[in-house]
Amino acid sequence: MGRQILEIKNLKKNYPGAFDLSIDSFSIGSDTTCVLIGPNGSGKSTLIKLINLLEEPDEGQIIFNGADILKSGKEKPLYRKMMAAVFQEPLLYNMSVYNNIILGLNLRKIKIKEKKQVFDYLIEKLHLEKLLLRNPKSLSGGEQQRVSLARSLVLEPELLLLDEPLANIDQLSREGLRKDLFGVLKDMGRSILYVTHDRNEAMMLADYISVINKGKIEQSGSRADVFTKPANEFVAKFVGIESLIEGIVIENKDNVCRVKINGSSIFAVSGFCPGQAVTAAIRPEDVTLYSDETVGPGYGPDSYSKNSSALNLLEGSISAVQDFGFFKKIEVDCGFKLISFVTANSIERMGLMAGKRIKASFKASSVHLFEK
Amino acid sequence: MDLIWEGIKQAFELLLSGNREVYEIVLLTIKVSGIAVIISMIAGIPVGLAVGLNDFKGKRFVVSIINTGMGLPPVAAGLLVAVFLWRSGPFGFLQLMYTPTAMVIAQVLIAAPIIAGVTLAAIQQVNPSLKTQALSLGAGRWQVLWIMANEAKLPTLAAVMAGFGGVISEVGAVMMVGGNIKGQTRVLTTATVQFVRMGNLAMAIALVIILLALAFAVNLVLTLIQQKENKSWAGRFLR
Repeated sequence: MGRQILEIKNLKKNYPGAFDLSIDSFSIGSDTTCVLIGPNGSGKSTLIKLINLLEEPDEGQIIFNGADILKSGKEKPLYRKMMAAVFQEPLLYNMSVYNNIILGLNLRKIKIKEKKQVFDYLIEKLHLEKLLLRNPKSLSGGEQQRVSLARSLVLEPELLLLDEPLANIDQLSREGLRKDLFGVLKDMGRSILYVTHDRNEAMMLADYISVINKGKIEQSGSRADVFTKPANEFVAKFVGIESLIEGIVIENKDNVCRVKINGSSIFAVSGFCPGQAVTAAIRPEDVTLYSDETVGPGYGPDSYSKNSSALNLLEGSISAVQDFGFFKKIEVDCGFKLISFVTANSIERMGLMAGKRIKASFKASSVHLFEK
Repeated sequence: MDLIWEGIKQAFELLLSGNREVYEIVLLTIKVSGIAVIISMIAGIPVGLAVGLNDFKGKRFVVSIINTGMGLPPVAAGLLVAVFLWRSGPFGFLQLMYTPTAMVIAQVLIAAPIIAGVTLAAIQQVNPSLKTQALSLGAGRWQVLWIMANEAKLPTLAAVMAGFGGVISEVGAVMMVGGNIKGQTRVLTTATVQFVRMGNLAMAIALVIILLALAFAVNLVLTLIQQKENKSWAGRFLR
């Protein structure tokens, strides 16, 4: 990450009877999209309000553009005007869509003609041309959120704060708005803090991801780091890793660990020492299944032993098959629970069903170990 | 029924004949109640907005005071003003007792809490997150107040209607501090009481009809403004 536009140090906010927000360290790089993901009630929206100076923390520092803005006194509104926030609710006013969009410009005493180019760009990209004279009450939820986004984006803030802007929108409108919004955000290339509980949105948008839980940042890192090398069980589960297996490292040869799990063992690329208790995280899309009936070149365990570079090959029986629309989730009992995603076509071709004996393989480099 | 018809007939005769006393009474009623409502709006709307939009220690107490004020009996308001403006009272030297100014003061005491209370209730119905959003967009304190007032403008018009209704129809306070002096402080309500006491029921009915017509006209104008707002939104909705 290059220059940091925002840095948070030891920020604390206590809500009696609820949770304590306690952020030791958090930062956003200039012209970077940072996605903050976490479950509902984890403190994401509170953090947005604290950064936007809409709430006061109990202690800590928020350094924005090099200045501790919590100590800025009467200049706080000036710093607030360098940012713009969009919340989960569209929060539009009883005036036309056009007047709603230019409200922030008027409040900041920015002449509309100065922003004409970006205004026209946003109207086109967010498909607002035909809505400008209407009252927001007559718009759908998705249309209202488009207006709300245009209102903040037209300000071209130094830091854009987006608090789950797609969360309250129906599935169909969400897909369209997500495509349009993410396109605009990438085009405009600004410093963005995007808050969501949807890991797919994080995958699509983030340069950098932070995971928050119960008011604390659990992990921060690049998108690849967070999704493939979760720091702990919570992060692993939150980013969609369902196979979390506890074991003990019994051997480490050239950074390839052998981990003993319930009588069997798996290989993992890691630097853990023998004797250490660990949790192994394996993404479902990294697990390949083989059935004895599978025929043809490249299929089946015999073929596997000759052709595959994967170190792990385990045998077990299918304990559950769950339908997830485009694919099915297969749960294999190999002495521990291993999850794999397969297509309906593969289910049919391989005759996969509960109780069937099956073999599963995955590469040692696909196994991420973290301390138990 | 004859009495009522006679009253209605006499009301029109009085108005059409250009009866000077009646016109003076009607004009003074409009002047006193109009000024009282305008002052009450200037005082009541900002108080209602400020109390409704801010959280502070003792807010519940202040809200209770406003709510109590909404139910203030006119005679109590009149008595309070009379005590202060009486010759020997703290403001007796101003010699305002038995003047239209005293009547305006008494009516402000009645209308201002009504307007503040209804405005307060209206602003509390507005989504508080709109205030947060306004701040985030860069609004200052006064701009937030203006934006939120704009959100509550339709119910605030109802507050003005309620305030006007409260003062134009009251008799106790204006009687007490105005004295119902012919040509000086006589308004429609006090004149009606006077004519009933004198047994001139037809004249009393005529004045009540004029009072009702006046109240209706003012409320009609305010209602038209209010409904025009609603209709314009509805029209756009159907577009």
